[in-house]
Amino acid sequence: MSASLERGLNAFKEQIDAPVAAFFSSCVRCGLCAEACLFYTETDSPKYTPIHKLEPLRRVWQQEYTFWGRYAKLFGLSKPVTDEELTDWETLVYDSCTMCGRCSMVCPVGNDIAYMIRKMREGMAAAGHAPPDLIGATQRAVTIGSPMGVKLPALQAQIRHAEAELGFSIPVDVESADYMLLLSSMEIMNFPEFISAIARIFKHANVSWTISSEAFEATNSGIQIGVSEIAAELVNRIVTAAEKLRVKSVISPECGHAYMAIRWEGPNLIGRPYTFKVVHILELLDDLRAQGRLKTTGKEMQRLTYHDPCQVSRRGGVVQQPRNLMNMVAENFVEMPETGTMNWCCGAGGGVSSNERADDLRLKAFNRKKKQLDAIHPDAIVSACSNCRIHLEDGLEEYGMDMPVLSLTETIAEHLVDNERSGSEE
Amino acid sequence: MSETELLLWVRGPALQIATLVFLLGVVVRIGEILMLGRKKNLAEARGSAVAGGLRTVLSRMIPDRGTLRRSTFNVVAGYVFHIGFFLVLFFFAPHILVFQDVLGVSWPSIPTPVIDAITVVTIIALLAVLVHRLQHKVMRFLSRFQDYLVWLVTILPLVTGYLAFHRVGIAPPTMLIVVHILSVELLMVIFPFTKLMHAFTLFMARYYNGSIAGYKGVNS
Amino acid sequence: MITRISNDTEFRAALDGLDPVRQRLVAARFVENVIALCADERIARVLRVAGNSEASEDELAEALKTARATTFDCHTRCGSEGDWSEQEGYFVARAATAALTPIGQMPSGPAWQAALSSRMAQTSRSIVTGDDTAGQEGTKQYRILSEFLDS
Repeated sequence: MSASLERGLNAFKEQIDAPVAAFFSSCVRCGLCAEACLFYTETDSPKYTPIHKLEPLRRVWQQEYTFWGRYAKLFGLSKPVTDEELTDWETLVYDSCTMCGRCSMVCPVGNDIAYMIRKMREGMAAAGHAPPDLIGATQRAVTIGSPMGVKLPALQAQIRHAEAELGFSIPVDVESADYMLLLSSMEIMNFPEFISAIARIFKHANVSWTISSEAFEATNSGIQIGVSEIAAELVNRIVTAAEKLRVKSVISPECGHAYMAIRWEGPNLIGRPYTFKVVHILELLDDLRAQGRLKTTGKEMQRLTYHDPCQVSRRGGVVQQPRNLMNMVAENFVEMPETGTMNWCCGAGGGVSSNERADDLRLKAFNRKKKQLDAIHPDAIVSACSNCRIHLEDGLEEYGMDMPVLSLTETIAEHLVDNERSGSEE
Repeated sequence: MSETELLLWVRGPALQIATLVFLLGVVVRIGEILMLGRKKNLAEARGSAVAGGLRTVLSRMIPDRGTLRRSTFNVVAGYVFHIGFFLVLFFFAPHILVFQDVLGVSWPSIPTPVIDAITVVTIIALLAVLVHRLQHKVMRFLSRFQDYLVWLVTILPLVTGYLAFHRVGIAPPTMLIVVHILSVELLMVIFPFTKLMHAFTLFMARYYNGSIAGYKGVNS
Repeated sequence: MITRISNDTEFRAALDGLDPVRQRLVAARFVENVIALCADERIARVLRVAGNSEASEDELAEALKTARATTFDCHTRCGSEGDWSEQEGYFVARAATAALTPIGQMPSGPAWQAALSSRMAQTSRSIVTGDDTAGQEGTKQYRILSEFLDS
């Protein structure tokens, strides 16, 4: 057995806990999970059945943690997991799964398949079977601080740009601020107006906040690839900065997996609870709304729908807040058929969009979202994840559908009452 | 061995062995799961893990609308044979007598003609389920030897029981009963080694699922 | 009368006061000002349509499609190595897309969004060169708008 395969199998073993064992014990091979997975429904290819993506992990469980499986292994009656098999499974585990968790919602025996995929990636990565694009992103995240290579000067330039537009400064490294905002590289590079939008909202609502120059990256590549040590390192940078600035709360921006990483996995990765709270930007905005601190005027008249980013909604628990916010600024808000925690994935999260090899499959899977949209004919889609946004745009463009994709935060900012940007005197 | 001796054996020692293997096997399998444990969640909870877990144990019994629409046959046939099997096993008068013998409690039975009809419906449902498993792209892809074996040991008690009750003339009545009891013992002995364990472990799986989601404030 | 615009409040108010066609025309001028930052020649073609007051509905729709496609092609994919000099082109394409987007589809207004994205193209440039050019493109845009209103 090669050293890397051994590392992989050991990682699999370590990852198997009581839930995993209960899940594998209970699977009756009914195939209902396939019908919940957009990679299956849009390709009709049974190999994308969610539980099938876990087959190597299942066999390790069987051979290590069931009495009869251990005996079978002893007598040479079981089929060992091989390197070739892991090679075959790489595309199943990384290209055809975003860990969206829809399968976990429908399995009749209650299996949380997405939970297991996350664990399986640990073994795949340890065995050297992660997609090269993800490996590159993770390396950049560790050495540069951002998976896309965004360095502090670039962020500072974007901040200066925003300040010029806003006419007031954006707080950086302010100690004892209430909130420390994280940003995803996707936002800094592709949607930097998010920074101005947040700044405007926070000024309007009188929120005490800051950005840390030492830890501004929200994206956690370690989670995507499945290397917990790296994921922990990335979380620790944020924790160190948050504790140094003694902020009360850290804000996770409009990015799905970033929220999962910092809010739910973070303390478990670093082995201790945080000394601060973590909120998704939508949670904070909804709180401000509920407290009457967000005064908006006018509404979007076009027919709008909301796309739930899976890691924020179904896997993250922020479901009602975006709807409250939508109702604040949308005159004509229509839900997708199958919405909320049962909404369909955009097909690009969990490392799939970083993986060029998965492009064709991802675009095919987008058909699922297209069918949802075809049923309600919106004029535009609103969402709260930069990755979802750009890939919804990609999918829409691919299928000749003509509608913009908007950020919920930016839309709120556009409707704030005192929208004068205190005039930047040029 | 005479018929009577055989009958005494299957109702006596064989049943004891089968029960032992079944109980021991189930306990060991459940123990193996629990022993793995799970790490304490250090993230700040939004909702109750326990409430979520218990909720999902029950709520997962009802499929969501999308699943019901996409997999109607699977869901309906599945429910028919599960409920049918359950009713026949626990509410047929002769079975209740066996339970009374072992557990010391009894309960009202369902009239025999009804049980009879339920048995037929259940057998038909199981046959349909097998055909579906062989025909449906995903199920055929996923299915292994064990899935077909389990199907067989599940339908055998129903078929042999029906034959025994109706004293179908293919064998002496006593032998029919012997075969029926043997088929039940086969099911019991195979149980802990197969996916039949889901009968017990699904409560654990649903609970874990619901508790993971409930912790985050999601109803799964 | 010479229109004087000296800050973003006046700038935005003036833009909001324009009818859809004029918003598109002035937006096209904002993008023209930064076109050099975009290597993709599709944008030049798209801008010709955007800047044409006689352009038909079909031509505009076609141009919008092309602009959107170009925007996606130029964006930095999540997790890949970002290149700010390529992002210049991305923001120019976004500006062109905004210019061609019908009013009502964008909460912030097409001309304003086009102006913002054009400024971001310049910001990307400044990240590459290291110069501090914050606010400079905005000033140029005030002049462009003033000239447009006076013409």
